[in-house]
Amino acid sequence: MTMRVRLSWAASTVVFGMAIATPGLAQQDTTKRVRDSLAADSAALVRELARASARPAGGAGPTNARLLPDVSAVGDLLADFSRNGSTLEGGHRFSVREVEVAIQAAVDPYFRGEVFLGFNDEEGAAVEQAFIVTSSLPLGLEARGGRFLMPFGKQNLTHRHDLHTIDYPWVLQRFLGAEGLKGTGVSVSKVLAPFGFYQELQLTAVDQFGEADEALETEEPVNKRLGNLGYAARFRNYVDLTKHANIEVSASVVTGKRAQPTAGLVVGNAIPVRQSLVGIDVTYRWRPLQQGLYRSFILQGELIRQFNEDIADPGYQGPVGNHTGGYLFGRYQLTRRGYLGARYDWLDDPDLGGERLRAGSGYLEFFPSEFSKLLLGFERVAPTGGPAYGRILFQATFALGPHKPHPF
Amino acid sequence: MRTIGRTGKTMIRALVAGAWLFAASSAAAQTRLKVVTSTTDLLYIAEQVGGNRIEGKHISEGYQDPHFVEAKPSFVLDLRRADVWAFVGLDLEIGWMSLLLNGARNPKIKPGAPGYVDVSKAIPVIDVPSGAVDRSQGDVHPLGNPHYWLDPDNGKRIARLFRDRFAELDPAGAGAYEKNLGAFEATLDRAAAEWAGARAALRGKPIVAWHTSWRYFAEYTGVDIVGFMEPKPGVPPSPSHLAGLIMTMKRRGAKVIIMEPYYDRKTADFVATKAGATVLVLPPSVGGAKGIDDYGGMIRHNILALAKAVE
Repeated sequence: MTMRVRLSWAASTVVFGMAIATPGLAQQDTTKRVRDSLAADSAALVRELARASARPAGGAGPTNARLLPDVSAVGDLLADFSRNGSTLEGGHRFSVREVEVAIQAAVDPYFRGEVFLGFNDEEGAAVEQAFIVTSSLPLGLEARGGRFLMPFGKQNLTHRHDLHTIDYPWVLQRFLGAEGLKGTGVSVSKVLAPFGFYQELQLTAVDQFGEADEALETEEPVNKRLGNLGYAARFRNYVDLTKHANIEVSASVVTGKRAQPTAGLVVGNAIPVRQSLVGIDVTYRWRPLQQGLYRSFILQGELIRQFNEDIADPGYQGPVGNHTGGYLFGRYQLTRRGYLGARYDWLDDPDLGGERLRAGSGYLEFFPSEFSKLLLGFERVAPTGGPAYGRILFQATFALGPHKPHPF
Repeated sequence: MRTIGRTGKTMIRALVAGAWLFAASSAAAQTRLKVVTSTTDLLYIAEQVGGNRIEGKHISEGYQDPHFVEAKPSFVLDLRRADVWAFVGLDLEIGWMSLLLNGARNPKIKPGAPGYVDVSKAIPVIDVPSGAVDRSQGDVHPLGNPHYWLDPDNGKRIARLFRDRFAELDPAGAGAYEKNLGAFEATLDRAAAEWAGARAALRGKPIVAWHTSWRYFAEYTGVDIVGFMEPKPGVPPSPSHLAGLIMTMKRRGAKVIIMEPYYDRKTADFVATKAGATVLVLPPSVGGAKGIDDYGGMIRHNILALAKAVE
């Protein structure tokens, strides 16, 4: 597809050059036909508009007489051109990482419902999110119930295919999960503005903290005691610095018990162990209003510390100690459709016994339209005590269906 | 027992009068309709009709592309307290409006509520596509062209809609809204008389526009848009399209390219140079250029500037 686009551009440029710079050649019949065809483009649009009928004042009838929900689909395609083999899940060079189908509508005057189904080659079909939301509550409260992205940190609230990088930052992958942290439960939020700027407090309780490992079995269900459920809080602070720039500084915390592998148990192979995360995220955005189609800049960082309960059991094989990680991400808009991005990651990797992992990555992002994205990424990963390696990845995403607002 | 002297009585009277005035002004402030609009044009017209019975804010700026507004949380705070949310409609705000309305959690401005004002309902919309519509046609608006405020006759329709809706929400002000509407229409009629000559001079004159946003303006003035910089709505121009457009401009004698201040002027300048034309940056909304602070002034500026350019 890229090659085809490139060829199309090259051909267009040649034709343009022939038409404009070399009038002598323009006398040739072939070129003349091409020129006439190109000239017809613009006029065709004008004619098309003129043909379009006028709608009388007062509006047409309902635009959705059958009350159908909005249905949309997003495809997330990956290719890995790394020199030493693929780094994608399953070792594929080309992969359909996920197809997400979203169904969204008002349920009744009180609730809005959203369902996101995920399909991929490795895990089959899954209910990624399914929740109802209501703001018909006193005190300006909003509540949601079901499965949703846990309000912890900044990027965790963005669908993976909507990221401006190919994967979540390493600290999120290691501390929250490769596909981010989701939960099934209830969440309540309240918007505040006692100091004149936007603040929001979100409180969440979910069935369990993180995704359950099906291979682990505890003597009693981890969620048997209410205190073992997953609990999260997030406090957002957003300030407009100028009309063109703003900053968001937020703090998040999540705690709960998770099943962790333990040897030598009479019943099962895991015990519930408390794990907590505390994070702070900062996002600075700049977009000049008049040139906003062509120029923008975002600088974002998150710092997360993981606390693990001390377990004296000698057979315990789960994470121990406390670990810290973070990332810094920047993206500058080069043209109307092109962006240049970079990210630096570091963390004390619990999967490597707390050894430091560093990674640096660069991205070239191109949006043919609002509904498609091409992303070329290079990443250098350097774990302490292990060999560094490089990744060369290409991502193409596309969206079908109604225009959905882009989360801020 | 001590009695209050003349000075004391005077002070008490002054305090009572002050408290009464304060209470009265507070009550007046409390009863003012809080109106938030998506664009500056809608706000300007709402303020002309609402007078001192409303207080208003707008979301997008006049020099900003209204299709691409960031749904900043600070806008949520404005909408949280609003009695009226008035927007252009026809999917102009589709990329950001629902985020703000959901975030505001304000039942007064939810769809179906009296404070939810889709202004396009008062407009005879043009460019409604017939037949199948899909995104291969670009950033097409299936419900029709949303840039209707660039026709001053639609400005009057917008004002009448505001009169009706404000009177519904604030019946005590119905008389004032009617009176304000009359004054606004009279002002616009006087301005139209001033630009009538220039408008007549534009009839049939071939021009090129960047985006389809100038279609209503063309309907009103009679100017003939023979081509667009965009090959399809919302799609940036490609070299091949520009080559064709230059041919069209030469063949049709189009000597002016009009564009909004938020598009890339360099591309328009290049085409203008090749086609022997000039580029005219026009404010598409109130506040779209320095000194363009009122609706009639914006229309007047655009008509006069274009008439001068096509001479």
